[in-house]
Amino acid sequence: MPVAEARSLSKRYGSVLALRGVDVAVQSGCTGLVGSNGAGKSTLIKLLLGLLRPDEGSASVLGHDVAADPLAVRQAVGYLPEGPCLPGDVTAADFVAFMAQLGGLPPRQARERASEICYQVGLEEERYRAVGGFSTGMQQRVKLAAALVHDPSMLLLDEPTDGMDPQGREDMLELIKRIRAELSVDVLVSTHLLGDVERVCDHVIMVHAGQVLLQGSIVEAAGTASPGFGVQLGDNGHAVRDALAGAGLEVRQAGDELHVQGRDDAADLIRDLAAGKGWPLRRLVPKAPSLEETFLRLQATAAAEQPPPAPAPTPAGRAS
Amino acid sequence: MSELPAGAIYDRGYRHYDGPREGRSRRITAILVAGVRRALGLKRNWKTKVVPFGLIVAAFGPVLAFIGIRLLVGDAAGEFLGYADYFSIVAVVLLLFAATAAPELLCPDRRQHVLALVFTRPVTRPDYLAAKLGALLLLMGLVALLPLVILYLGNALTAPSAATYLREHLGDLGRILFAGTVLTIFYAAVSLAVASLAERRSLATAGLIGSFVASSALANILFFTAPPTLPLRRWLTFVSLQGLAGRFVEWVFGEPFDDGSLAQQAGFSGSAYLAALVVLTVAAMGLLAWRIARLQP
Repeated sequence: MPVAEARSLSKRYGSVLALRGVDVAVQSGCTGLVGSNGAGKSTLIKLLLGLLRPDEGSASVLGHDVAADPLAVRQAVGYLPEGPCLPGDVTAADFVAFMAQLGGLPPRQARERASEICYQVGLEEERYRAVGGFSTGMQQRVKLAAALVHDPSMLLLDEPTDGMDPQGREDMLELIKRIRAELSVDVLVSTHLLGDVERVCDHVIMVHAGQVLLQGSIVEAAGTASPGFGVQLGDNGHAVRDALAGAGLEVRQAGDELHVQGRDDAADLIRDLAAGKGWPLRRLVPKAPSLEETFLRLQATAAAEQPPPAPAPTPAGRAS
Repeated sequence: MSELPAGAIYDRGYRHYDGPREGRSRRITAILVAGVRRALGLKRNWKTKVVPFGLIVAAFGPVLAFIGIRLLVGDAAGEFLGYADYFSIVAVVLLLFAATAAPELLCPDRRQHVLALVFTRPVTRPDYLAAKLGALLLLMGLVALLPLVILYLGNALTAPSAATYLREHLGDLGRILFAGTVLTIFYAAVSLAVASLAERRSLATAGLIGSFVASSALANILFFTAPPTLPLRRWLTFVSLQGLAGRFVEWVFGEPFDDGSLAQQAGFSGSAYLAALVVLTVAAMGLLAWRIARLQP
């Protein structure tokens, strides 16, 4: 049974349609919500939290109807927002304890729990320092602690590795895996980094231009792309790409090689083409199906079918 | 001899919380307490404490000093300011306190995007509004009421007969509580409404002090330069925000308006100033509620 569902969910910001009749079922476990910037990931998360009202459709989270009972949803869910959102002159311990109290914990329990969670996310002595002096990675840990401290049943993490250095990113992914493994909390991770999703998630939802391209298990999603090859054929120029496409293959430039897929006999076709045209075949290596392949292929197909709208803005609307 | 381990380290891992949980009142109280701490600069560096505690000292200091001297030297200390006069001092402190505390309560939450976290908890806009207003009312009440109550009790204790003083001046205590409560609510509502319009604390502070000072200056300049026959000229007295508070207090304590002053020439009774304060407070609350309802996390 899905832990969160969206049914025909649409959201418009002015003239920009950020989500178009999205149907999503988030399964128990860790789910990656992937898409390019402006694809509608953050909008979907905010709709699931009841922070935005949909123009059409409905959503439910952990059995609670979002429109009818948003407070029950927020009590049961922890949210790590994208971007800076921490008060600079408050210590991490004080801020996390404050967030615990907003989750209903009495003050003494809130302080104890905040201290415990800060330690678990890797904030040890630093928790007594003002958050304003923290690195991006440390601030992400504070946000994660704030999302976890009231013991939610589900976590919504919006770009949790955003702006982090490689080591910090590695640590954050390990933390998410640990949280999932030790607390059995359901996690929905929004990111544009497919590698992160492959590392920590069991399921994936791919969105592009406000539409869902695919949803399912990671294994299924990766398997939807037929095995392909990395090719360096001749100069990999237009003539080569046209010839490969003319042979019924899907061709995509990836660095200094071409990614070719689309037919089971692709290797034979490439070999014959090289022999026939006299192009030197410098490289022909099989490439396992991957989420990235799947996503790029689906995105290209969607883009070909429909020109993408302008990127959806972050719902600013802050009273100022 | 075998060595015994001095201790053991356990990695308890993540654990679920199975302790007590409280409801809406806890959430409101948490925001209120955090607001009071923030406005007073508690748990922050010393610079943030200078202004709020300086103003508290300004409100309490003269009263406590006078009572102390009176206790030491008796009637030789002479007469202290009357309650209405002391309220005129407190009103200035209240304005400065409101102008610094209200922006501190509202502006950083928006400027630092903390609302993105606060409103993802089961906190509603009315909860947030109630907590912020409660925090400011608490602090302003402290400055508006307590010094006067202490002065009243000090006068009683240093009088020849405390019981007689309390009996004969019971009405003063009622007037202190009434005037202090009205001023507290007025300054709190107006300052929060102004603070809700700006993201920067400095802008909100300058805007509030500026509007009070400028409105008083404007009212007096327009009134005394306008021809006496100008229709509605006397209504200019209600333009002066700080003047409203002063005239209201004078009316509550039965003090006459100064000869030749705008209020005296305008000819309105004190109750008109109370009505103006109420209208402004309601309008400010409406603006504040509208702004809070529009806040997006």
